Amino acid sequence: MPEADRHLLEAFVHGDELAFEALFRQFESEVYRWILRIVRNPTTAEDVLVETFWRAYRGRARFDPERSIGAWLRRIATNASIDAVKRAVPERRWMAIDEQVAAPAAASADAGLERSIASAFRRLPPKLGVVATLALVEEVPYADIADALDLPVGTVKSRVSRAMGTLRRELARMGVTP
Amino acid sequence: MITDDALVARLRSAMPPSEFRRPSRDLWPRVRRSEPAGRGLMLIDLGLAAAVAACLIAFPQWFWVLAYHL
Repeated sequence: MPEADRHLLEAFVHGDELAFEALFRQFESEVYRWILRIVRNPTTAEDVLVETFWRAYRGRARFDPERSIGAWLRRIATNASIDAVKRAVPERRWMAIDEQVAAPAAASADAGLERSIASAFRRLPPKLGVVATLALVEEVPYADIADALDLPVGTVKSRVSRAMGTLRRELARMGVTP
Repeated sequence: MITDDALVARLRSAMPPSEFRRPSRDLWPRVRRSEPAGRGLMLIDLGLAAAVAACLIAFPQWFWVLAYHL
């Protein structure tokens, strides 16, 4: 993410609304893109974007202007996105984007299998699902995921591995053996 | 049983990576409307004010005690 001017960050920390708006304008697209990668639904992503900047404004006193505002916003956005995924009914998680891609999938011979895999994936616990979405679907590097979740890289790898195991078990429970 | 790599390839085919998008509208007005400074009184503030008012009505002699503590 791009970095912001130090004076702007200090003004933001002191509650300057113009500085807050300037930061919002500067980081809105990047933060939205990150959120969309997790929640996979444009409308939900907009709600989470607003929530992210509320949280940032509320927590501005805890931000150190010496550190990266981009990384800090990404961490807040990740937590807000996880909360949104937890609130969603499993069957509807990530549904909006997935519905858009259902047509080409349906044309292939393996459409049924792919639908089952997507369905089983949506049922992963949010803690595993979010990490697996970022790592396996969005191909975000493990180090970036670890930074966004404030976790060690080893924990991220372990969650991806557990997600794969859970996905296979869920598929087996559904009677699908890919 | 297929390998993990093959399963992930199937998963990506079923759930392709998200495309780059921008928000459908300017969200700054929503952020600004909802920021804590603009929210006015919180429920806890209203509850406290109601409790103080109820105490003063029931026990007017407590006015100076409440005035001292608040």
